[in-house]
Formats: sequence, structure tokens, C-alpha cells
Amino acid sequence: MRGERTMTEPLLSIAEKVVKLAIKEKIDQAQATTFLCDKALTRYANSQIHQNVASKTGGVAIKVVIDKRIGTLRVNTLEEKQTQEAVKQATKIAEVSPPNKDFKSLPEPEKWSPIEGAFDKETATCSPEYRAERVRELISLAHSKSKIVKAVAGSFSTDLITFAVANSLGVSAWANVSLASMKATVISETGGSEGFGSAEQYSRRVKDIDPVEIAEQATEKSVKSVRPQKIPVGNYEVVLSPRAVGTFLSYLGEIGFSATPYQDGESFVKYHLNERVFDEKLSVKDDAHDPQTLYALPIDDEGIPKKAMRLIDKGVVSEQSICYNSLTAGKENKRSTGHAVPPVIPYYPYDVPVPINILASPGDASVDEMIAETKRGIFVTSFHYTNPVDPTKTVLTGLTRDGTFLIEKGEISKPVMNLRYTDSMLSALKEIQLIGKRLERVGETTVPAMKLKNLRFTGVTEY
Amino acid sequence: MSLELGKKILEEAVKKGASYADVRIGEILDEHHTVKKGVPEKISLLQTRGFGVRVIVNGAWGFASSIELTGKEAKETAHKAVSIALASSKLKKKDVVLTPIRTRKDKYSTPIKKDPFKIPLNEKIEILTDAERTIAKQSPLIKSSSAFFRAIRENKLFMSTEGAEISQQITWCGGGIVGIAIRNGEVQRRSYPSSFEGNFATSGYEFFESLALIDHSKQTGQEAVHLLDAEKCPSTETDVILTGEQLELQIHESCGHPTELDRALGTEADYAGTSFLTHDKLGKLRYGSEHVNLVADATVLGGLGTFGYDDEGVPSKQVFLIKEGMFVGYQTSRETAAELGLKESSGGMRADSPLTLPLIRMTNINLLPGDWKAEEIIEDTKSGILMSVNKSWSIDDKRLNFQFGTEIAWKIEKGSKGNMIKNPTYTGITPTFWKACDAVSKDDWKMWGTPNCGKGVPPQIIYVGHGCGTARFKKVRVGLMG
Repeated sequence: MRGERTMTEPLLSIAEKVVKLAIKEKIDQAQATTFLCDKALTRYANSQIHQNVASKTGGVAIKVVIDKRIGTLRVNTLEEKQTQEAVKQATKIAEVSPPNKDFKSLPEPEKWSPIEGAFDKETATCSPEYRAERVRELISLAHSKSKIVKAVAGSFSTDLITFAVANSLGVSAWANVSLASMKATVISETGGSEGFGSAEQYSRRVKDIDPVEIAEQATEKSVKSVRPQKIPVGNYEVVLSPRAVGTFLSYLGEIGFSATPYQDGESFVKYHLNERVFDEKLSVKDDAHDPQTLYALPIDDEGIPKKAMRLIDKGVVSEQSICYNSLTAGKENKRSTGHAVPPVIPYYPYDVPVPINILASPGDASVDEMIAETKRGIFVTSFHYTNPVDPTKTVLTGLTRDGTFLIEKGEISKPVMNLRYTDSMLSALKEIQLIGKRLERVGETTVPAMKLKNLRFTGVTEY
Repeated sequence: MSLELGKKILEEAVKKGASYADVRIGEILDEHHTVKKGVPEKISLLQTRGFGVRVIVNGAWGFASSIELTGKEAKETAHKAVSIALASSKLKKKDVVLTPIRTRKDKYSTPIKKDPFKIPLNEKIEILTDAERTIAKQSPLIKSSSAFFRAIRENKLFMSTEGAEISQQITWCGGGIVGIAIRNGEVQRRSYPSSFEGNFATSGYEFFESLALIDHSKQTGQEAVHLLDAEKCPSTETDVILTGEQLELQIHESCGHPTELDRALGTEADYAGTSFLTHDKLGKLRYGSEHVNLVADATVLGGLGTFGYDDEGVPSKQVFLIKEGMFVGYQTSRETAAELGLKESSGGMRADSPLTLPLIRMTNINLLPGDWKAEEIIEDTKSGILMSVNKSWSIDDKRLNFQFGTEIAWKIEKGSKGNMIKNPTYTGITPTFWKACDAVSKDDWKMWGTPNCGKGVPPQIIYVGHGCGTARFKKVRVGLMG
């Protein structure tokens, strides 16, 4: 752990210094989140590296409260003089802001402890040469598998993320994680028809990433998916790979289990409290301390220890499913669950609490067994461009991608052209026939494959 | 912006073996406020500073960036970019070639009347609060209402080993309102002037003022409530009329992205996807009807994608993508233009900060005005649906099969706007849809700003514009909600 403290101590020291500076400005409360991200990514397409980047970013997010008037300021510098200036500016913003009557208080300190295995030095210091070699290995293997492989595209990233939080009530906490991910899309072509296949892996340790396995999975799907057939739209049984399941659960996290849509009346949970809205076999939690999750952050953006949440308990959703930061918790006189998203996590707005450590309970089936149990259905590798159509009714739409196959009489019979689904998750996840025994990390979710009795496909594309 | 620092970075890159290098040193101020349900939910200022250096070594790219604007960091980051490029060069098929460019030393600044960063915060918050409270007052069924203000200022210096020295100041601002009505678990929303927190333009504070949010808040709230009692969108095939508030996103997704040459050449295949507009179709494919003329134009006054030079130092310009329905052009970079044998780049390379790598990004992708008045299109429609303001969107990874939902729609019967329709959705295949376009308006043509276009790995969010009015599309499938 010494290595970790060496990196986090200066950040924590700056955060605490910023809070002390703010207190001198005659404010009520103050919070500072300092962060440092050292990210590198090697991207390839047409079987060669075409983008290779490294960026060092960091800064401080300051929150100042004066009589319920809140000023927030984020600057991407950690230099003392500029952070001093930022404190003054945040104070000025607070002074001229109207009071936020929903604000109760910044959080009190709570006991927390770092997560073992969150940080891996090899990942944090991974070289561009190492990434280039693994990319070369993956591309070579994909081409060697079949002559119809036309091109390989993907990315290999290695990131170090560190942040520290201090506030005027005594919060003093930090997080330090490493992340690695590798993705590959293999494009095959024969007789003018293209096939696509993809695979990806995520880990806290770069050495866990296996380019051989990724190449094999993506290439097999790609080669098998050339000359896809058009099938009619309608309701089908589906076997969803973990990546496809991850898309569904990730969206439910955002539109259903966040306190913001819940308090706005836009979350389905509000209308189905204590009801079994999903299949009894479906249990989903959010738990940063589970070793299987990717983002091993012990605390949130406010320095609150992340609580384990039962998002779906044997198909039932309840008040216990809702994830809060301190502001949304204050509105209901509750305690935050530790779900304020720190500025180091991409995609999410920092003021909306969301679960980013979603884990679904495994079942006892293999994907082969799911296929064998399907009379006529569709195997989905992944979904593309999914978006909510009616968030409150959990209606999502999106398209299949990178390997979509028809299953007939318990076997994959042929590749099919990509299909658009438009369906409510309350309906699609109501009857889950089988759940996979193996969990895979897919970004912020850790999920198994699933066989659903029904998914509604409303359109078909041309490849 | 420090010319000295820029020179040092370029010198260090060349010293280490770069045959080409460019550097962007920049600072971005992002002021973003939200008043929601009577409280200032977000009063936020974000400042980003730093530099990014892009190099070609042994015919391959490398890029590195840092937030530390010091001589020591400049040297280390330039060296890092070179070592990354060396690693890239081990896995290259051919050397990177750039189209030639006339290098310039120039300055550009967005023309503004009122500096949005000098307007007192309380003035902005008062407008947001008044507008938001007016929405809330319309009905107890309004369960949530919000008002938004956003302003961005980007100061950037571009320098290259070819001799370019270009400094720019881009300023944009705007805002919007939204009201959400809920009854028995049914949720309906109305936004003004558009979704995604409103409308935005490269302009001063005068653009935010021109939106007159308070004046429009009553109708916005009332329409959200009325939608609860509106008819459901029928599931059928009919003529669809799209107003600019929806047409802009249709253009964005089904023309903007597929005409990005990096997608067509496969370099976004692993994430955003490729494009059905492959280069063998250039000049040959009928993309739309003769009424369809689409351009990429970074010169339009007020466009959110308007600037002086792109992030490769290419001056802003207008380029035809679709001319009288034919696919005739791409949005390009210097590298992709050279790959296709084009003489020059379309000037579409932009990064969302000095710390990220420039990619081909939309500037302003505009549907040029047609001959109709918007009202005439309605009067000329026997039976159809008029849809407005985007609510949901999705399109496949080659940009063919799309499905959109809008906040509101109205039946068109015998040339008149009839009953309100809720949960409208429509779907289609891109070229089929645009070939079915038989009327494009001219009188309500305006620029729409989309501040949230995502692309790339690692992901970048950039601001783009779309100019359009109202257009009609024949025989479109609507009502996908079941």
C-alpha cells in the first residue's frame, strides 16, 4: 500500500489545504476533490495503429457553502497559486448564488478503508511498446485464423485514476485505481458480404488482459457472420451475451436506480415499490467492494464510503434500490449511499448519483446450454446506440451488432442482419429462462449471459 | 497563450525525430447553471487549461498532452509523444501523408456584442428562476421543471512545424427550459427551444436574451400537461413533417456522421462504427431526392460549429456533402483527404480540449433552404403527422436504420394542424427516407446548436451546428411503441 499512499498523500494534502483556505473566507462549509488521471490508449483500425495517445489531467473541484448558497468550481490545475485563486472564485460564486433550500449539509466523516487490489503498478506504468506488442499479437492472430479476415480495429487502454476528498466537517479520504481494457472488432469479407465480430475485456490489472482470447472470440463471430440473412421482425426468444446484458442493466442504473429520476417521478421504481417487476431469478447489487467489479473506489466524490446496494432482490425493487448523494439524500432526510460520481469517471454528469459497480448474480447455465434450450431465437453479441424511448416505462431501443445469429432447434443456424429492438425492460426481463454461471466485467457492470423468453424486435437493417 | 512554450514543444519534437509536429495550447471556460424545482441545482464554472502535441515519427502518429504549462513538462510531453509515435510505427502499413496547406499566422474571434462571462450571475439566475417558476405554476401536474444557461469560451493557439501560428477565441452561449408533467405514472415533457438544454450559438449573451425563455415558459408547461390527454401515435405508414427542432438531429445522425471520412475508412469501426457511404459511392450514390442539399459549413454566422480554423490550421469553409440528392463529398482531415486523393481537407478536425486528439467532427451540417414556406407544406399535406423536438434517438453503426421519438406531434388532416399526439416515433432507412423528401422550407430556416456530440475513443464531446427549416417525408413508418 506504500506506493498508493505516495501518490495519494500529495492529493489529499492539497484537498485539505484548499478546504483550510476556504474556511478563512468566512464560509459555512467547504469541500475539495483533487484528482489526477494518467491515461494512455493505443487505438488500431485496418489492422494498424492509427491513434496512440497519452494524457495527464488533473485538478480540483471546490464546493463552497454560505448560508445554503452553493458555489462549485472545477479547475484543472493543482498549482498552489491557482488553487488559491479558485477558492476565492468559488466563494464569490456562492456569495451571489441564491440559496438552495434542499441543501442540508456536506457529509460528516465516516469510517472507510482502501480496497485491496484496486491499484496495480504494472498497469499504471504500462508502456506504449507493451500495448503495441499486444495489439500486434491480437491482429496477427485474427488474420491467421481465417483468410477472409479483412481488417481488425480496437483499442487497448491503461489508466491510473487517483482522487482525494476533504471537507470542513473532517472528511479525509482517497481512492487510487488502475484500469485496463482491450477491445477488438474483426471485419471479414467474402463475396462482397461483410461479417463483424467483437470481444472485449476489462480488468484492474493489465496482465489479466488476454489478446489471444479476445482475437479468438471476435474472429470466430466475424467469420461466422458473413452473408447474413434478413429475418422478419417480431418477438423472439433471445440469448444475450454478457455485453448485451450489461447494456440493459447499465441503463436501468441510470434511469431507474438513481435518486434524481426517482425524486423527479421519472423512475419506474417509484411506481413499483416492493413489487416483483422482474423475474425472480434476477438479483442485482451495486458493490464497489466486490472483487469482481471494475471501479474499485471505496469512496464517492464526497468522500462517503460506498454502500453495497440491493438494486434488484429476486426480481423485487424497493426504496433500498435507490442510490443517493448527499444532496438528494438530504431531500428525503436520508443518508447518502455514497453514489456521488467523482470527476474521474467518464460519461456521467457529476451531479446525478448513479451506481457504477453493478453486479448481477450468476445462474447455473452455460451459453451452449442456453442455445440448446432455444427452439427458435436470436443470439445477440452486443447492442449498439441504445437509448431510452420512455424511461419511466423502461422502454429502450437499440440495434444488435458484431455477431447476431438465428438459433433454430437448439443450434445456431445462420447469421442474420442486425435487428432493432424496442421493448420495455419490465417486459423483457420479466421472464428470464436461464442465467449464465460465468460473470464478465463490462465497464461499470459485471454480468452473466441470459436467456430471455421474449424480446420485441421492431426493425431490421441492411447488413 | 505562450508562443514561446509552443516553439519549445515543436523544437523538442523535431529534435527527437519528428518529421511533423503541431501543438495546441488552450484554455476553456465553461459556465453552466441549472435552476430546478425552485432551487439553483447547479451553479458551476469549469476551467480547463493545457496543451497537446501531435507528432509524426517514422511515418506514424503519436500524441501526448498535459495540464502543466511549464518548460520542463513541455519537453517531457513532446518526448513522450515521440516515443508513442515510435511504438505506433512498429505496426504501420504505410506512412502518414498530409494534404498540403498554406500555412498562416492569423487570429480569429467569434463576433459578440455582450460578453456572457461579464453578465452578473444573479441576472442569469433570475431569468432561469422566473422561467422555471412560470412552468411550475401552470399545473400541479407539473412535477419537475428546469431552466438552463451555458456559456463556453475557448482560447486556443495552434502552431505547427510547417510555420502555422493561429490564435482563436470561440465564444458560445445559450439555454433552454423543460417542464415535466406526470399523472398516474405517465410522464410527458416539453422543452423550449429544443431538447438537450435548449439552443446554443457562437454568439455573445445577446443570443441567450433572444431566446426569451420567460415568454415561452407558459406554453411549454401547458403543452406538457396537454400531452397527458393527447392521442397515442398510431402505428402506421404516413407522411411525416419534421420541424427544425427534430430535423436537426435527423441531419446530424443520418448525414453528419456517415459523411465523416474516418468512419468511411474504417478507423472508428471499433466504437461509433463505419458508414454506408463508402468511397466507391462518392459521386455515384443517390442519397436523397433532388430537394436535398446538405453542406458542411464552418462559416455560418452564429453556427455552433463556426470557427476561423480547424485544429489542423485549415481555414473554415463550406463543402457540399449532398448536392441535389447525390452524395458528393466527405468531411475530412488532412490525412484522410490525402488517402482519398483529395486536394485539400474539408477543415473538420477538432478536439474537445487541448488535452485530447483532434478527430473529424461535424462543423455545421446544414440542409439548404428549399422553395416552400413551412405553412405551405402543412397546407399541401392531405394526411400526415407533424413532429417536433427530439425525445429519443438511435441509429445503427453504418447509419442506415434509425428510430427517433419526439416530444410532441400533431395530426395533419386536409392541410390543417389537428389534434395533438403523444409519444410519437418514426423509423426508416437513411437513403430511402431522404429520397422520400419532397418539400423543404425556406422561411423558418435557422441554426440549431447541438452541444453534446460524442465520438472517439477515449470519448470526446463537442459542439456542432445544424441549419434547417421544416421538411416533409413521404410514407414513413410511425408508432413503434407498440
